[in-house]
Amino acid sequence: MDDEWEPPLPAGYNDSNRAFLQAFMARGTLTFGVAQKIVAGLILASEGGGDAIDPREVTMDDVSNYIRTAREAVESLDYDIRNTRHQQRDGERVWAFINAHSDPATQMGTMRTAEELAFIKRMLDAMFEDFNTPRMEVMAITEAQALKVSRPPRRQSGVNAPELGDGGGGDGDGGETSAGAVDRGLKHSEVMSLLSSLVAEGWLEKSQEGFYSLSPRSLMELWSWLVATYNDPDSDEDWQHIKFCEACKEIVTYGQRCSEVECTVRLHDICEQAFWRARRDKKCPKCQLPWDGKHFVGERAVTSRSGFQRGRGRRTSKRSDLAEAVAAQQEAADAGEEDDELED
Amino acid sequence: MPPAPQRRRRQAVEESDDEEISQAHRARADDDSDGGGDPMEGVERDESSQLIKKLVRYALACEYSRTPIRRDGIKERVLGPNGREFKKVFAGAQKQLRATFGMEMVELPARDRALLTADQKRKAAKSQTQKEATSNAYILVSTLPEAYRTPAIITPSKVQSADGEAAYAALYSLIIAIIVLSGGELSDPRLRRHLTRLNAGENMPSADPNNGNAPSEKTELVLQRMIKQGYLVRVVEAKTQGDEDSVTWHVGPRGKMEVNNEAIAALIRTVYGTRTAELEAKLQVSLKVKERKIDDAQAAEEGNGGEEEEAAAGNGDPGPSRRRGRRRAAAEEDGDDD
Repeated sequence: MDDEWEPPLPAGYNDSNRAFLQAFMARGTLTFGVAQKIVAGLILASEGGGDAIDPREVTMDDVSNYIRTAREAVESLDYDIRNTRHQQRDGERVWAFINAHSDPATQMGTMRTAEELAFIKRMLDAMFEDFNTPRMEVMAITEAQALKVSRPPRRQSGVNAPELGDGGGGDGDGGETSAGAVDRGLKHSEVMSLLSSLVAEGWLEKSQEGFYSLSPRSLMELWSWLVATYNDPDSDEDWQHIKFCEACKEIVTYGQRCSEVECTVRLHDICEQAFWRARRDKKCPKCQLPWDGKHFVGERAVTSRSGFQRGRGRRTSKRSDLAEAVAAQQEAADAGEEDDELED
Repeated sequence: MPPAPQRRRRQAVEESDDEEISQAHRARADDDSDGGGDPMEGVERDESSQLIKKLVRYALACEYSRTPIRRDGIKERVLGPNGREFKKVFAGAQKQLRATFGMEMVELPARDRALLTADQKRKAAKSQTQKEATSNAYILVSTLPEAYRTPAIITPSKVQSADGEAAYAALYSLIIAIIVLSGGELSDPRLRRHLTRLNAGENMPSADPNNGNAPSEKTELVLQRMIKQGYLVRVVEAKTQGDEDSVTWHVGPRGKMEVNNEAIAALIRTVYGTRTAELEAKLQVSLKVKERKIDDAQAAEEGNGGEEEEAAAGNGDPGPSRRRGRRRAAAEEDGDDD
């Protein structure tokens, strides 16, 4: 490399593009509405003042141009800009600035301690393994459930985290004498703060019913990590922890499922309309059972149950307890046939 | 120059790392790049541009957590056996940062000798390395023209939460502004008085003010973070005879770069709301900032009168207290004092 080396840049790349990139990186994700405001600000800045531009006049083409150029500019640095539709909220499109090589530790982890990272891993395991079984694909957890994994399990070490296991168990602050890499887990108050900040930072979303689930940003960032970690390509089973929408092929953590427990066809609510419009009848494309749209993936797997509904009618404010009770039932029911927890 | 084979091997190691990360459970991308030596043959690539890429990514990652980009860190985590390439790689990364992101690395000022306690001075003299006055630490700053630094475009980063960032930036900016306008140093009691007036004497907003469980944090902890991240320096001078130790607050290296005099002036202009020739004149005297165009040209003339005083402030020399008092009075007149 000589002194004449110049970094490769898209044609016409200028300060507006650089500012767009900075704005994007500070926010992590963009929606069309937010991008409109930024682009309006950029136009104003590049024209050196003048009248403010109404953000609503900024078109999708304008925004797409900025995003495409930004993507071109950072691609060679192993960053990427991806987009997906939100699985709820009318499928609003979300763009995310992401690291091409990604796992929870590098992504959510930059500012987190080792204990927090270990907790996040346990929480993801809970979301995608414990609360994601063939019968109930919740893929979300309540606060109470998150608190349950605030400390590493006794005796048995967490999945693929052998260095975290310790003989002393994780049930107290005293008594552990083994040196160094003992993961004491997090205090409950620390878990609550971490959950809140993961929501504020845009990694988790919290629903009205109190369930935490992965945000579009997380799903984009962790796409390959999730598939590699929770799906087993060598398995004989059809059923895998991470499944994809029959229509858009993206991960489904909130949507509908075939009424046949064994069947692996899943569909986003937001993809449903277009999907059925293109077909003659509303039947599962795989097993031909009628699609009733009442079997769910995501928190509705719990909240649509009669037990949960009844509880709400009583107007106790102990929603999360109830959800947990339901989940506990489910756990008990699944204990017989579920053995992937014993894996490691 | 390291021998060629070694360099090629390193390249291979990096690539295998990347694959492992994308496949599975790797803790930190950079931590282990020196780990294994599995002799997988990497595709021949332009090595320099790979190093530049790594440095750019390293710089951005450091900035996210407000860790200074240290020369040692670059050598260890980016260059590895290519340590001699520092200059070239650094220059390349600098070019890329400017061209792509509108950012650049600026070196932090070396620690001010005036801020060392007598004890530390003695130690420094003893070690006698006679280090050149560089800090070998850098931070990222924006190189965008000011027109682009508007709230519509640049918002507080979502680190933990955008609201927490906003509150944190506001607090350190304000404290730094007060310190600078007080002549570069502020006694602990005075800082506390200012904080109390801001209702921040006991608590400050936490990194995530919307967290119902911990919306605020002890002021002490937040100040500690400001010190750790280089916004502030707290100097304890042990009193020789009796009395309590005297504590003074100064602006830290990151603070000097990020919240420079222009930024302080901008903050004051915002607080004062309407910009008058009088205010601009005072800002020029106190902060030596560039003249801003206002209708009244008088401001410039008034500003020139204060040259001597500015020099004193610029050197970080507190100067005679009377003079400081006057300047402070000038700058704080309406807004501040009881």
